[in-house]
Amino acid sequence: MSEPSRDAHQIPRGSKACRRLFGPVDSEQLRRDCDALMASCVQEARERWNFDFVTETPLEGDFAWERMRGLGLPKLYLPAGPRGTRDDLGGGKWPSTSSALLQGTSQEDHVDLSLSCTLVPHSPERPEGSPGGPGTSQGRKRRQTSMTDFYHSKRRLISSKRKP
Amino acid sequence: MELLCGEVDPVRRAVPDANLLHDDRVLQNLLTIEERYLPQCSYFKCVQKDIQPYMRRMVATWMLEVCEEQKCEEEVFPLAINYLDRFLAGVPTPKTHLQLLGAVCMFLASKLKETIPLTAEKLCIYTDNSVKPQELLEWELVVLGKLKWNLAAVTPHDFIEHILRKLPQPSEKLSLIRKHAQTFIALCATDFKFAMYPPSMIATGSVGAAICGLQQDEDVSSLTGDALVDLLAKITNTDVDCLKACQEQIEVVLLNSLQQYRQDQGDGSKSEDELDQASTPTDVRDIDL
Repeated sequence: MSEPSRDAHQIPRGSKACRRLFGPVDSEQLRRDCDALMASCVQEARERWNFDFVTETPLEGDFAWERMRGLGLPKLYLPAGPRGTRDDLGGGKWPSTSSALLQGTSQEDHVDLSLSCTLVPHSPERPEGSPGGPGTSQGRKRRQTSMTDFYHSKRRLISSKRKP
Repeated sequence: MELLCGEVDPVRRAVPDANLLHDDRVLQNLLTIEERYLPQCSYFKCVQKDIQPYMRRMVATWMLEVCEEQKCEEEVFPLAINYLDRFLAGVPTPKTHLQLLGAVCMFLASKLKETIPLTAEKLCIYTDNSVKPQELLEWELVVLGKLKWNLAAVTPHDFIEHILRKLPQPSEKLSLIRKHAQTFIALCATDFKFAMYPPSMIATGSVGAAICGLQQDEDVSSLTGDALVDLLAKITNTDVDCLKACQEQIEVVLLNSLQQYRQDQGDGSKSEDELDQASTPTDVRDIDL
């Protein structure tokens, strides 16, 4: 059961596991591929959420976006100011697209700002549940508290699309 | 009042939670969601142009060595392989990126499962410094994005306790069976043949293979042969014939790796803890695949 801590577990000298498997690695190509893949992630997210994460602008689509202030979110979820570690790890070298999507922008006026999105019902859609009752037309409208809560909304969107 | 003085194990582990392990709903939920985390296709045929099956084996073997040497928790390696397969099923990748990708996957799996995770620096040293920590961290985001941040994949390890609990084995035999089953799971993760199998089937097959292997030397089980397979199949709702086939494949993979091991022994270098072994040679940990 007991194991030494990771700290005490240094890489043994001359470890056979320290080896490169497929020859030299081309850093330039790594960089290019990384940028291209990040750009495609950003594009996917943009289409998925009809939201431009680079400029933080809502686009036309299934979700209606609105600004929220002071949600009292834990700091973890807020865009960080300049943090030592991030800069150490090359934060400054990031293309703006990728950092905006995945780490939030560092624009100061966004420090306490989140966006909330609501799924907009499509017009030909029949209301869910018992028909006619007051409020049922709003039944499909669902508010998210923040982007961090995206998963339910994702499922919701898929199920709404499947409905003919 | 008793006073206890001793060295504190710096690795913190949660105690096994009976509420989770003794509840069939948990097992049923695992069975329901496990398929979501399987790679979407057999990517050597439909996605990858540069990467060949033997390269996956090379990178998987290297990842296993790193996990072993760093004494990672058992789930880290199969989880990292799950990330690797899911990424490769979607993104055509040149072979020169494969080791970096393997390192990133270990980095993520270790962070998810361990209290003291592997560091980027350490992983880069294991690539013989062919990648830089900064590159590893950048690719971490790429992999996260492509996996849609769905990291909590179901692995065969999630099923082991649920299966063992339902076997009529005496409890003193269970730890040995568990250890061998874990080894088989690691072995399966190195072989692409098992990449598309549901984790529950790999877990069930591994427990079956462990019991059969151990049974040759000592009496670990009152149930053997078909009765054992039937019971195992029932526990995880696996088809009996599929399970038998899976268990046979596991045994074949074991034999192959043992042969490889013996060949390597001819070349010299012996693994240090080779002697720290159970009587059956079913521990892949000491085999240089």
